[in-house]
Amino acid sequence: MNMTLRISNIYKSYNGRSVLKGCSFSFDRGGIYVLTGHNGSGKSTLLRICALLEPPDRGEINYLSGSNIIKKDTELKRRMTLVLPKVGVFNTTVFKNVAYGLKIRGIKGNKMEERVNKALDFVGLAHKKDQNALTLSSGETQRLGIARAMAIEPEILFLDEPTASVDMENTEIIENIILNMKRKDKSTIVITTHDMSQAERLGDTMLIMSEGRIIQG
Amino acid sequence: MDSIIEGFKKAFILIFNLNTELLGIIFLSLKVSGSALLVSAVIGIPLSAILGLKKFPAKGFVISLMNTFMGLPPVVVGLFVYILLSRSGPLGFMGLLYTPSAMVIAQTILALPIVVSLCHSAIVGVDPIIKQASMTLGATPFQTTITIIKEARYGIMSGVIAAFGRVMAEVGAILIVGGNIAGYTRVVTTTIALETDKGNFELALALGIILLTISLLINVVLHFIQKKGMVK
Amino acid sequence: MFKGGITKFRGIFLLMILSCVFFPSASSAETRIRCASTTSTQNSGLFDYILPIFEKKAGIKVDVVAVGTGAAIEIGKRGDADVVFVHAKEQELKAVQEGYFVNRHDVMYNDFVIIGPANDPLKIKAIKSATEAFKKIAESNYPFVSRGDKSGTHTKELSIWKKLVIEPEGHKWYLEVGQGMEKTQRIANEKRAYTLTDRGTWLATKDKDRLEMIIVLEGDPILFNQYGVMAVNPQKHKHVKYKEAMEFINWLISKEGQHTIASFKDKDRNQLFIPNAK
Repeated sequence: MNMTLRISNIYKSYNGRSVLKGCSFSFDRGGIYVLTGHNGSGKSTLLRICALLEPPDRGEINYLSGSNIIKKDTELKRRMTLVLPKVGVFNTTVFKNVAYGLKIRGIKGNKMEERVNKALDFVGLAHKKDQNALTLSSGETQRLGIARAMAIEPEILFLDEPTASVDMENTEIIENIILNMKRKDKSTIVITTHDMSQAERLGDTMLIMSEGRIIQG
Repeated sequence: MDSIIEGFKKAFILIFNLNTELLGIIFLSLKVSGSALLVSAVIGIPLSAILGLKKFPAKGFVISLMNTFMGLPPVVVGLFVYILLSRSGPLGFMGLLYTPSAMVIAQTILALPIVVSLCHSAIVGVDPIIKQASMTLGATPFQTTITIIKEARYGIMSGVIAAFGRVMAEVGAILIVGGNIAGYTRVVTTTIALETDKGNFELALALGIILLTISLLINVVLHFIQKKGMVK
Repeated sequence: MFKGGITKFRGIFLLMILSCVFFPSASSAETRIRCASTTSTQNSGLFDYILPIFEKKAGIKVDVVAVGTGAAIEIGKRGDADVVFVHAKEQELKAVQEGYFVNRHDVMYNDFVIIGPANDPLKIKAIKSATEAFKKIAESNYPFVSRGDKSGTHTKELSIWKKLVIEPEGHKWYLEVGQGMEKTQRIANEKRAYTLTDRGTWLATKDKDRLEMIIVLEGDPILFNQYGVMAVNPQKHKHVKYKEAMEFINWLISKEGQHTIASFKDKDRNQLFIPNAK
């Protein structure tokens, strides 16, 4: 049974400006959810809260196994990951960047190498694995971010504006990677984008955000 | 002018025929300053990480204090350590005055603020996105801190090497707490001071050249580390 | 990365412990005693000559901390040395009386001399009394370099001024340098000034330092420079190595020690110290 996510009545404000004004939703169908909306509609904030990067001011966020609530600890946090729009590359090789999530989980040796190589193959960066990751182009950097996430085999993957800073060619590559991932792992993927046509190409379930609320789901 | 040229000539002859006494002095310098550096790095790097990444009251004050202490006059540190370690002082029971350990303590006090200040800047200079990335990949707060320290490694190394340069060249503190005892606490800088006092300018000059060579090497290493850390 | 970090930290701690092992405390490996003495004794080369002979015989290593006489006595008083070897008899006797030291012995002497520019502009050479010479320097406002460091030489110099009821401090012609004897001589040489020095340092360094100076006055009994040795009182400082310190003192005043001191010569075969232990 896959892990599901239920959020109810989430509120969040920064410096007195409220960003989320009561979001509720249940991510329980699997597949790709696409969260669209204007810039500043609260998509990224909602994603960060869902990924347990920061707590909401009000409201509840629960991960469930069947009908049981899973305790929010490091263990749970390690079953999901969020790829940020700005990837945050570590100043080391491409390979070690992808291995990072595995190493902190204590996965090493052949098993680690296998999973890293698989992820790099998947995003088409295998030939650059010994290169310093800071030398990658912006499209490659975004793919590296996805590979880093894939290597840890998350049950839920959050992608925040994965193609916002890349060219057309890389956008297509990344979209294909996402679609392949869904086919292969049957994991739940939640993507934010402000590109409506991209939303239609990728989404199984569409969510539209406006003024801090989910208005269509 | 003649005596200067003569001095350089004799200095080079001495360097090429390094005797065991001279080697011992150089080795002790490296050992004392190296140990001081090791201790300051072990204390200073975690401390600078705490200063850079955690929020606590009086944090700004501690940072200003460290920046100020970067310019501590070595003789003042020497005097302070002397009073502390003297048999009539609070730590006299340890019997450390006029030993290499006392020199390590004094130099650690000199090196620590440099290590902390420069490592703090390096750690603060790490893009905050690194912290986020590490957290999204499932790192615990401790693992995240280690990751940030690793990202700052080139800056940290520069800080540690800068501190090494300072303590290697320092004479005021170790002269006071080490006592410049022949074959026991006599290092390069205190030998230069003594030999200059005694009028043995050639030997003093030879040691000066050796000291310069060591700091030149250190700076070359530093340059390469920084170059390696800079990726286009 | 996490695990790697831990291993590295462990490595650093190991190195720290190792670095402590590197520096065994002075007592562990071999027997060492610490002797607080004066720069003039050290710079003359006396210790380099006599200590290896004693160390070989007794198996006790003597670490010399060379500072001014005042500082050397202070180091002994604080318990930071085991034995003190200086030349300021009055101060020494006072410190013994105060209970800081025991077993003070005369060891040897040399004498102080007044040195000045080779052309002796004040014609001090014609004077026989050191007191008179000092008076002339002060009256002529002629540059005089003082150790200014509470050393034995400085103490001697001050006692002469005191006799004259002259307070030279603060006068333009009176240069307090706060340096060792040899450096003071060199400064006097550069400044074309007069200064008080001990014969040992003078003989050992005048050629090497190319001093363009001469002895302008010598032989006045007031310039007699007695060296003494004394042990730090073990009643005051329990940790001192009294037994070994006494071994050193007894050797210095023994026939063999006295003979060794007498046989110490500078490059020009001059005897620098005259042993006079009773």
